[in-house]
Amino acid sequence: MRAYLLRRLLIMIPTFFGISLIVFLVLNLAPGRPGAQADGDVASSARGEQTQDSYRLFREQFDLDKPVLLNTRPWLATAEVRHDVEVAAETAPASIVERIAVQDRLADLGTYAVPHLMAILDAAEAEGDARLRDTVVFFLWQSAPRRLVNPFDPTPSPALRAHNDEVARERARLARLRYPFDAPEADKRAVIAAWREWYDGAKGRFEYRPSDKIRILLTDTRFARYWSNLLRLDLGVSLTTREPVLSTLLSKLRYSISLSLVSLLLAYLIAIPLGVLSAVHKDTPLDRVTSVALFMLHSLPSFFVATVLLITLSEASAWQVLRLFPTGGFQSSDFAELTVIGKARDLLWHLALPITCLTYGSLAALSRYMRTGVLEVLGADYIRTARAKGLPERVVIGKHALRNSLLPIITLLANLLPAVVGGSVVIEYIFGIPGIGQWTIDSIHRRDYNVIMGVQLITTLLVLAGMLLADVGYALADPRIRYR
Amino acid sequence: MAAGALLDRDAGKAVAARSPSYGGTVVARFAKNRLALLGARAVLGLLLLATFAPVLALNQPFYWDAGQGPRLPWLGALFNRLLFENSVDLFFNLLLVLAPPAGLFLVWFRRRRPTLSLARAWLGVLGVAGALFVCSSQESVGGLKNPLYFTERVVNYRAEAERLAALGTEPVAWFPLVPFSYRETDPQRSLQSPSSSHWLGTDTEGRDVFARMLFGTRISLTIGLVAVSIYVTIGTILGALAGYFGGWVDNLVSRLVEIMITFPSFFLILTLAALIQDRSIFHVMLIIGLTSWTGVARLVRAEFLRQKSLDYVQAAIALGLSRRRVIFRHILPNAIAPALVAATFGIASAILTESSLSFLGVGDMSVASWGETLSAGRVQQKAWLVLAPGAAIFFVVTVFNLVGEGVRDALDPKLRR
Repeated sequence: MRAYLLRRLLIMIPTFFGISLIVFLVLNLAPGRPGAQADGDVASSARGEQTQDSYRLFREQFDLDKPVLLNTRPWLATAEVRHDVEVAAETAPASIVERIAVQDRLADLGTYAVPHLMAILDAAEAEGDARLRDTVVFFLWQSAPRRLVNPFDPTPSPALRAHNDEVARERARLARLRYPFDAPEADKRAVIAAWREWYDGAKGRFEYRPSDKIRILLTDTRFARYWSNLLRLDLGVSLTTREPVLSTLLSKLRYSISLSLVSLLLAYLIAIPLGVLSAVHKDTPLDRVTSVALFMLHSLPSFFVATVLLITLSEASAWQVLRLFPTGGFQSSDFAELTVIGKARDLLWHLALPITCLTYGSLAALSRYMRTGVLEVLGADYIRTARAKGLPERVVIGKHALRNSLLPIITLLANLLPAVVGGSVVIEYIFGIPGIGQWTIDSIHRRDYNVIMGVQLITTLLVLAGMLLADVGYALADPRIRYR
Repeated sequence: MAAGALLDRDAGKAVAARSPSYGGTVVARFAKNRLALLGARAVLGLLLLATFAPVLALNQPFYWDAGQGPRLPWLGALFNRLLFENSVDLFFNLLLVLAPPAGLFLVWFRRRRPTLSLARAWLGVLGVAGALFVCSSQESVGGLKNPLYFTERVVNYRAEAERLAALGTEPVAWFPLVPFSYRETDPQRSLQSPSSSHWLGTDTEGRDVFARMLFGTRISLTIGLVAVSIYVTIGTILGALAGYFGGWVDNLVSRLVEIMITFPSFFLILTLAALIQDRSIFHVMLIIGLTSWTGVARLVRAEFLRQKSLDYVQAAIALGLSRRRVIFRHILPNAIAPALVAATFGIASAILTESSLSFLGVGDMSVASWGETLSAGRVQQKAWLVLAPGAAIFFVVTVFNLVGEGVRDALDPKLRR
């Protein structure tokens, strides 16, 4: 058993990795700018230098300037960079959209562009193309400064501190190396000479050995960055509120988990006796009525039921007598001051409707499976034996049949979990419960990638844990099962 | 000798006629299930309703005569891109126009060739409609103007009729049963409760809810059928390959299935749908199709594993048939049954998924989606805006679930309880 569990856990690692990869690719390859609605819609506002700078910093801060999965920038050809610079310098024909895209592309290249920009600078001077030269100097100024390593580390090691100090000094020096396009020619020459001098000293940084190239290809990417953070349990910060994703997630998770768990538990608690009853009384009116009722419940969309319950039974109801439940929320505003019983009653009062909506869907499927399971078991030889040796029906059903017919619905837990987690998104949305479901919807609308990613990963983890739980439960219910 | 062979063949035919084929048995078993048959009829009814929706509800009269000669605005309106911009609508309108001539043609053709099966004929009609649909999506092809693509100012004939009636010259106008278009907004009539002119009331923008429900049938049916076709195709191919080849192919597919199953897929669908800009209803179908194939793949894989070792497969391989033929012509027909059952239930759940998406506001806003109306009902707290779409979704989902149960029982009587 332990070996089996260990193996299952090990298999989960590649599954989890695969899921994170898929979600990551979906999020990062989807069109649309991340954080587009943050900071007064940086993306669509007029692209003055100020906004462009702040958008560049925003991208750098969240590693959005890196390639998604593979970094091929060490293999960049000077001709490609030159084309982009020419477009930006408006010496090559291009549409406005293309021009903006080129600006972003060059900004994203960062230090990888430097050797190419130096080469273009040489070429521009040789060709006497002043406009190209000036543009190149601007992009050098933009691209050349290195980034600080772990600038927010509260206890940096001496080596890290020394490195960051050096980078900061260099950044300060390079920040001055630019000029307006209408500056006197002599000033321009001085700045360019300073760039040459700096580049002669820093040249070594841009000569990649094959092993460096491979390392950069695989590790200097958004995905690798994300995973290296993930291993340190760092899910990043929200792109819009700048709050750490993990802590917000954990605080919201309790709402969603309690909702899902309670409803699953309820579904099992109701479905098992219901299934046994309708199997034992097969083809009686009782069985027929429950079957039809469950079938209809199965076809009722939960968001419809939730809405109907909300407008009939909540405080928004048109009928005074039916205003039994609140319109939403998880608890009352004076929750902290309530007694323990008062708290329990308050939670029940708030959650009765959402839990009902979440429960009935899985209930229908569960009790149908339960009924089938019991029917199958009731035909087995050992049931006949049990009856033959004179055991009361109660014992035959409750002890012999029940335990064996539980098996199929335990495995069903693994299938139900993702559905319940997904279903709770809609229910949370309708009842205004501040759990992860509602948060996800909001974040999706804001393109808050770190949040979406974090939520997906955490729910995946939960589902994986649930599947493991189902396996363990299966082993507990069926002593025949020996896990290799 | 020749006569003997002929006789033998006739004898074979006679035996074949007496012992029903597998498909025949399944159909017969299905037909015995009263509820399932009812469900199947309801599906047919829904298809007809979807096709003939403009006959029931459109704001253009069939016939119009205001003293300047008779006009037929309804017929032209069917392909007016200002009235019907959505391709789902255009497809069904094509079907509507094609249905009568196709029916006549079929009657004539069956008289000449009685062996033609109705299902195949229906597929033919669908194919022609599909081809025409593809052609009609372009405004012009190589300088040739497409006669099915035109835009024309939409005349408000209802207001026109009222104006003329006030002047004392009432025009001859035959309107459809419900003289409203599902996209026709009217701020002055917003949120009216059900009445004799608006059977199911109006929504926040003053659009007739009955018309929206009616045209929503088109969307739901298309979503269900197209999304499921997509994922049944993907799942069948992947499952077949995994089951037949085993080894690393099986490993790869199984891992992939494991990953997709662990996803809370609604999250994924929601994220995908929300991230697409200018999404259309086809994006929604594609997303549902691309994320829901795991069940089918597992079923088909399991069946393939079982069938692979059976004698008929070995015989087919020994005969030297190509791999593709063995997989798709010999094993697949024997292995597809569980996938078909899953597909029928899948239609219901695809419809549910789409309506939840539009309920959350990430569907295609240009189509008449039931979920969208329900969402408006939730916000406005209006019973008719909630009940009408809710009942519609419930009905369609129930019907497909009924058919699904029927198909399951018919394909595998052992499962029947």
